Amino acid sequence: MSDLVNTRELTPGTHIVLVDGAVAEVVSNPLDGVWVVARYLSSPVDPSVVGQEEMIFAQDIAGVRAPG
Amino acid sequence: MTEAGYRTGLVDLAKGQISREIFVNDEIYVQEQERLFARAWLFVGHESQIPNPGDFFVSCMGEEGVILCRDRAGQIHVFLNSCRHRGMKVCRYDEGNTPVFTCPYHGWSYSTDGKLVGVPYFREAYHGALDRSQWGLVEVVQLCNYKGALWATWDPTAPSFHEYLGDFARYLDLSLDSWDGGDGGIEVLGGIQKWIIPCNWKFPAENFSGDSYHNISHRSVDLVGIGPSGSGRRDTRERELARRLQVSFYERGHQTGVYVLPSGQPIPLAYAHSPVVSEYFAHCEEQRRRRQGEWGRVIGSPGEVFPNIALHPRQPRTIAVWHPRGAHKTECWRWYFVDKAAPQQVKDFLRDYYIRYSGPAGLTEQDDMENWNYAHAASRGVIARRYPYSYEQGQGYERDNYEFDGLRLPGTVMDITEAKSSEHNLRNLYRRWAEFMEAESWDELATWRRGDQNHGIVRAAE
Repeated sequence: MSDLVNTRELTPGTHIVLVDGAVAEVVSNPLDGVWVVARYLSSPVDPSVVGQEEMIFAQDIAGVRAPG
Repeated sequence: MTEAGYRTGLVDLAKGQISREIFVNDEIYVQEQERLFARAWLFVGHESQIPNPGDFFVSCMGEEGVILCRDRAGQIHVFLNSCRHRGMKVCRYDEGNTPVFTCPYHGWSYSTDGKLVGVPYFREAYHGALDRSQWGLVEVVQLCNYKGALWATWDPTAPSFHEYLGDFARYLDLSLDSWDGGDGGIEVLGGIQKWIIPCNWKFPAENFSGDSYHNISHRSVDLVGIGPSGSGRRDTRERELARRLQVSFYERGHQTGVYVLPSGQPIPLAYAHSPVVSEYFAHCEEQRRRRQGEWGRVIGSPGEVFPNIALHPRQPRTIAVWHPRGAHKTECWRWYFVDKAAPQQVKDFLRDYYIRYSGPAGLTEQDDMENWNYAHAASRGVIARRYPYSYEQGQGYERDNYEFDGLRLPGTVMDITEAKSSEHNLRNLYRRWAEFMEAESWDELATWRRGDQNHGIVRAAE
């Protein structure tokens, strides 16, 4: 079974883990299957992005982090 | 075929003859895309199709696919529907609402104001160096919202849309104003009908410019009686009372038919199949006459905004665009309009009548398509191409400063009340077509700025 995340199913508030280890919270979803808008909660590679909203590319999303 | 000489050879206005080559020649078709469709103002849709932020409607300008959309701030845009990265369509729906247009090929994504907002691997692959501000969607250089109708051009040197129209605006208003002449506005009724026919786009463009000679083609429809009062295909009582005119704008290439009632003559009742509809239009006509005074005596008839936008102001009220799809194919799009404030019962009645009349399933348009399609097919052969079409009707009988019963009509007028028919408006379409095909710039095309009066017209002796 594939672990690929279907970005169309990501709703606002969902926490996603990116391939570089960053964690972000989905803010909105254009439902194009390619992008979500998310706010960085943490980023081991570049801590300066924490708090920023960015468009996140589907192939940069490694998975969904369970709440809590 | 020769490169030059459209006016002196292929479009011979002095003789009233036009070569079949301009309809069937593939080289001429290619030149039309650059000379006409990349320079003229074109109709892309109506604001009622995109009322909310994020709304979009995918349209066409010549062969180019475009996106008509309203951005988050409410501003209207028209973009080329093609990703700047590899050209893929960024929108493959007919209409809808979206926060972004995302290319499915490599994932470039654009906001509804056309800005490039998403570039996959922007940091990694581009090292953050791609200047995203330079790679937004290509936008038309001029856009005009004229009474809710949206028009655009790719040419920065083209005149404003108002200048492009000139006094023809008064005739276009017959299609765009609410029926009572007030500012209540009109709206698109239902979806846009789209279909493809095997003929050159100029066949329908010519037909709607004012070819009333082909009425015989619709005799079967008239016999069936699809009209809103049960006879013929339209209500025609007012036509029997009016002067029947063809109006051309030589310097701009727009033309239309109109009917002008005598002063003081009320418009007879119409839409007898429905008392509610009949009463609604009677009330509107009364209001229109009150608001517009003598101009309220003018009743619209088919016309054409150059080059490929057909007007049908009344019964049914529609605008069609003849999108070129090669020399031998046309994609027809038809918008249907009703007064925004009309009662639902009126809108429902008109919808049924409109569908009965126009579009691929409409009985009247079926007659037309049969003519265009077979005329095109029968004009393609090497022998057929040697013989020009005749456009001689009424040559020399047109009049400037035409006046009827105290009302002066803008444009050059051919009164066909007694003559029954004329090819005055058709010649005007091809006159302008030839000018566009020959002119190198809008400096040459904007002849009205120079006060040119000679457009190759041969006048009959006064």
